[in-house]
Amino acid sequence: MKSATFEKGIVVLLSILTLLVSSLLLVILATVFIKGLPALHSGFLTEASEDFGRAGGIFYQLLGTLILMTGAVVISLPVALGSVIYQTQYVESAKVKEMCRQASQVLNATPTILFGLVGYLFFGVYLETGVSWVTGSLILAVMILPTLQVSIREAIESLPEQYKDTGMALGLSPWSQIKAIIIPQCYYGIVTGVFLGLARAAGETAAIMFAATTFSGIRLPESFADPVPTLQTHMLVLTQEAANPEALAQAWGAGLVLLSLVFFLTLMAWILRSRLKMEAEL
Amino acid sequence: MATFLSNNKPLLVKNKSQGMMWVFAALNFIFLCCAGGLFFFLIFESYPIFKLEGFDFWLGQDWWVGETYGALPMLYGSTLVTALACLLVIPLALAVAIFTSEFLSSTPRRFVKSVLELLAGVPGIVYGLLGVSFLSLWIKDIFGLLDGNTLATAGCLLAIMILPTVLTLSEDAMHAVPAEYRDNALGLGLSKWQTAIAVVLPQALPGIVGAVLLGIGRAMGETIAVMLVVGSLDRIPDPWFNIFSSAQTIPSKLGREAAESIGEGAHWSALMALGLTLFLMVFLITFVGNHFLKRRRVS
Repeated sequence: MKSATFEKGIVVLLSILTLLVSSLLLVILATVFIKGLPALHSGFLTEASEDFGRAGGIFYQLLGTLILMTGAVVISLPVALGSVIYQTQYVESAKVKEMCRQASQVLNATPTILFGLVGYLFFGVYLETGVSWVTGSLILAVMILPTLQVSIREAIESLPEQYKDTGMALGLSPWSQIKAIIIPQCYYGIVTGVFLGLARAAGETAAIMFAATTFSGIRLPESFADPVPTLQTHMLVLTQEAANPEALAQAWGAGLVLLSLVFFLTLMAWILRSRLKMEAEL
Repeated sequence: MATFLSNNKPLLVKNKSQGMMWVFAALNFIFLCCAGGLFFFLIFESYPIFKLEGFDFWLGQDWWVGETYGALPMLYGSTLVTALACLLVIPLALAVAIFTSEFLSSTPRRFVKSVLELLAGVPGIVYGLLGVSFLSLWIKDIFGLLDGNTLATAGCLLAIMILPTVLTLSEDAMHAVPAEYRDNALGLGLSKWQTAIAVVLPQALPGIVGAVLLGIGRAMGETIAVMLVVGSLDRIPDPWFNIFSSAQTIPSKLGREAAESIGEGAHWSALMALGLTLFLMVFLITFVGNHFLKRRRVS
């Protein structure tokens, strides 16, 4: 009898903890929203920032973030798709497959600041792309490679075995099988990967802060050699002016936009994942 | 005619297929180069400082740009902050994971998992802003400090940041314990709670260890949020266990100083050596963590 009460107490305690952890998301969202609201005005998304970010909007910062993350996915997608197809369709040795998977995991676990350091040195200095949005896109492309690979690999590996058997029975070459079966059937995995990769690239600050971005001076890149302002760098600089309430309000505003962007992309990935998966299972 | 076709066409197709194979192989090679190149560059670039200072680099306590480079304060800071985050996160993550896996039905469970996935995606800079605006002020007020940017602040912030990772992976490990185990335990008259503690938890232990290790790996590499709240002073706290003093971690040091010396000189080399150290630590921890997670899956 006594132990039953004890257990009830524990379960209640655990449920409260679970509720607290789940509401953490709500707390973060609400805080960012309430703090960011004062900075939002009608032109926040469409005006340039003024007075070193303390007033005005974040149009060019948002644009910079979009440029970097799009560039990253454009570069990363062919490599991710090609490498996963090679690993799943052509490689036969289990050892090599395992090695590639390990490499993907290492890349996924690597602290992002190291991508920034090494990426800047390799792309920016040795390949002479300098501090520019191209360098930033390349660095982010390497960083999101494992994210894309995981989604694509999951989709390919969950294809029913019969599909491959049918393809082989029809005498299709590996390339025809990839073209006619694998890519169309794994479409949802690729799209999900793209959205998750975009979200990861959008949220990243450390990897690009000294290799691709600038706080002031440049609005739109006019060549491949120009850096861009981004939401992340904007927030980082303004946050360090913690004593200045106007700067901090602008940082919260930018944070609200960034957080919405990341959540929107993640939700899109989920919706596509579930819907297209259902279609694929029909 | 038919023989002619069947002899020739597959050959043509085969050639094209062969060509595409090389394209895919090349793309895979690029991917492997990204992973291998990172490691190679870190070693290559940090070689000069090891030549200059040898292993004293890891033992030195002073970091004066242009004179001497000692990594010990950063190593210590990283270790302490990570340990602190772990201490805070493990009990909470385990408690919530047990409840989510063993007591929740599938719809609320999926809800909790979705919330965790979203939480894991919150950008580090947003956590940094939250830390600067709230956490560091709270710690300053509660403990009556002059400066709220301390190791404890960074530890707490990191605990919040790695919570979703540790929680969702350990929950996966518990959920993957076969249902027969639970049925047997319940059939023997154990209560749900006793089953969770005495049967599911030990079975899921390797997976939980793996989850915690992956969380540690993430915590060690986090840059922006830690950089904003750790205080950025290159020194070992006095006394060594004083978590309410400002210090420095490896990533925060890299974030603060990399822009000053990019590409050349002993300073850059020393920073790259710090990066190499961080990479090796994270690599080792993640490798072991993945090993534990995989063992769970196989057995």
